[in-house]
Amino acid sequence: MNEETLAESNLQVSHDGSALADDVLSALSKAPAAQTLIRVLILSGSDNQACRSAVAALRREQDTPRRRRTELPKPPVILLITDSIKRIEQCRELVNDMLLWPEPAGLLDNRIQVLRHWQDARLELNMARDALAWHANRTEREHQLVEHIFRNALSRNYLDYPHLRTYLTPVSKFNGDLCLIAPGPLGNIYMLMADFTGHGLAPATGALPLSQAFFAMSDRGVSVAEMVTEFNFRLNRLLPADMFCACFLLELSANGERVTYWNGGMPPALQFDHKGKILQRLNAQHMALGVLDENDFDSRVTTFRASPDSSIALYTDGVIELLGHKLEFLGSDALESLLQRFPKPEDFPEVVGELEHFRGEQPLHDDLSLAILQCCATGLDEVKPAIEEISLPFVFESRLEVSYLQRLEPVGYILNALSQLPRLRSHRTTIYLLLAEAYNNALEHGLLKLDSGLKRSPEGFAQYYQLRSERLAELESGTVSIRIDYDADTEVLEFTVTDNGAGWEAALSAPQSEQSFGRGLELLKQLTRELYWEDGGRQVIFTYQL
Amino acid sequence: MTLHRQFSNDGKELIIAIKGKFDFSLVQEFRQAYHDIGEQQPTVLIDLRETDYLDSSALGMLLNMRKSLGKAVKAIHIINCRPEVRSILDISRFDKLFIIE
Repeated sequence: MNEETLAESNLQVSHDGSALADDVLSALSKAPAAQTLIRVLILSGSDNQACRSAVAALRREQDTPRRRRTELPKPPVILLITDSIKRIEQCRELVNDMLLWPEPAGLLDNRIQVLRHWQDARLELNMARDALAWHANRTEREHQLVEHIFRNALSRNYLDYPHLRTYLTPVSKFNGDLCLIAPGPLGNIYMLMADFTGHGLAPATGALPLSQAFFAMSDRGVSVAEMVTEFNFRLNRLLPADMFCACFLLELSANGERVTYWNGGMPPALQFDHKGKILQRLNAQHMALGVLDENDFDSRVTTFRASPDSSIALYTDGVIELLGHKLEFLGSDALESLLQRFPKPEDFPEVVGELEHFRGEQPLHDDLSLAILQCCATGLDEVKPAIEEISLPFVFESRLEVSYLQRLEPVGYILNALSQLPRLRSHRTTIYLLLAEAYNNALEHGLLKLDSGLKRSPEGFAQYYQLRSERLAELESGTVSIRIDYDADTEVLEFTVTDNGAGWEAALSAPQSEQSFGRGLELLKQLTRELYWEDGGRQVIFTYQL
Repeated sequence: MTLHRQFSNDGKELIIAIKGKFDFSLVQEFRQAYHDIGEQQPTVLIDLRETDYLDSSALGMLLNMRKSLGKAVKAIHIINCRPEVRSILDISRFDKLFIIE
């Protein structure tokens, strides 16, 4: 076989040196310049074997391994030109195109042009396929990463809470619905059901900041109104304008009696009793999260007392818009009647079974979430801070001259410091109260000579504190000293509060229950172990056992 | 903001939440919070979930509220007390005057 390259027109010609070859070559020499390489095979006569081996040689030559990953294989496009109809029959499967020579209509150039287009298209397709494969691979890796982050972010989700049943089914790997549950510090429990617009990765991304805020705020025991305000603030800043988040947030008190909820754009949750009677529908009163800015946002909640043995079903619209195998939506009536038929917690598998039966083989069109919470005592403990076994003894002492008394409120100041000590933290409210009573007595009666009798009426009460601030501002001299001794062995705190005023007759009689003053002394008496005055009432000493 | 006041959606509850310190420094603000209570005879919910510190002046303020609201409200509930707060209210016999949840 002879090889010839027509560099200008980018044609590689293999031919048998026949008269046919001469003829065709002279026709090809007029072909226009081009980028894309085309192989032309010119064979005269009808020797079948010659054709096969010539094609095989061409293919071999072009089938060498790719040098770089980015270099694409170039399957050769082969045009066979022959003068034998028989050969055309034989080689139909071996080459890409054929031309019987002589070609009376002068279509050789057109034919080569068409083959070039075809070859270009093949190359482009190959490149697109490889690029797609690369992106799919990369997306897969990124999804794995995000999945991992989600698993960690939601690892605290308390879906195993014993009084909760859930059926959560996302359309894709990532759920645009969010069902979160977390205990609060008072033995209360928080539950959130949210539905971002759309489904898949994009909405699930919004779930990250929402869930992090939810868990952090549940730990702190924040109110429902404050939680949704914060959620809205975050999502409003984060989400694009066409994306928002319908959300139902609910808090159940530790005894299971008080329900507080906020519903922004979610379908009505259903409260029903153990006999299946629907007690109420907890309708949406607000816009979804992420729509309104903080000034327009409405965080008002609804509270009610839950009857014992009742439950609340929260769900996303994916449940009522579930498409059944008969191509009809489930609808809210059907969901209600389902709950009426299976109201008991142990019936939940039946509810799920009915939903799945209704759906049959229909593919899911939206994420689907259903959760049923029983309104019963949560059985969760109040969070108790870990008590350190060993604490250090210490003495705290502060002598406060009048300028300090005027400028700051020392008891809160001292407590903020003391409550950093782990052993004292869980007693901070009581310690504050004791110290505040002693300090206020020293200041108000010892130095400012205020009369508690003024506090008898509500008006006098306010007047008393008005007078306090006036007299304090005018006070020219006076000192209050505060000393706290902590005995780490006996865990006893001893407080000494001393003033240099005119002295004060401590009235240690119990107040009448509705009197709005005198209560401080009673509290001191009740909460301390030892309590006595020295120096005509200028010094009070008491101890408190941790 | 240490005092947060909000009616519920149906207007049947007035929720007053006090954060951090509950004492005489809130005396005016607290009176304001229940001043304009409307004709609906709402239930007042004093939410102490985030109240770290309180003293006898806070107790006095609660009693004054009870006195001045009288029959204008259905009931006054003190809700979400931490155990320490609860025991202070119990010692002061507030369970006889308020509904403590």
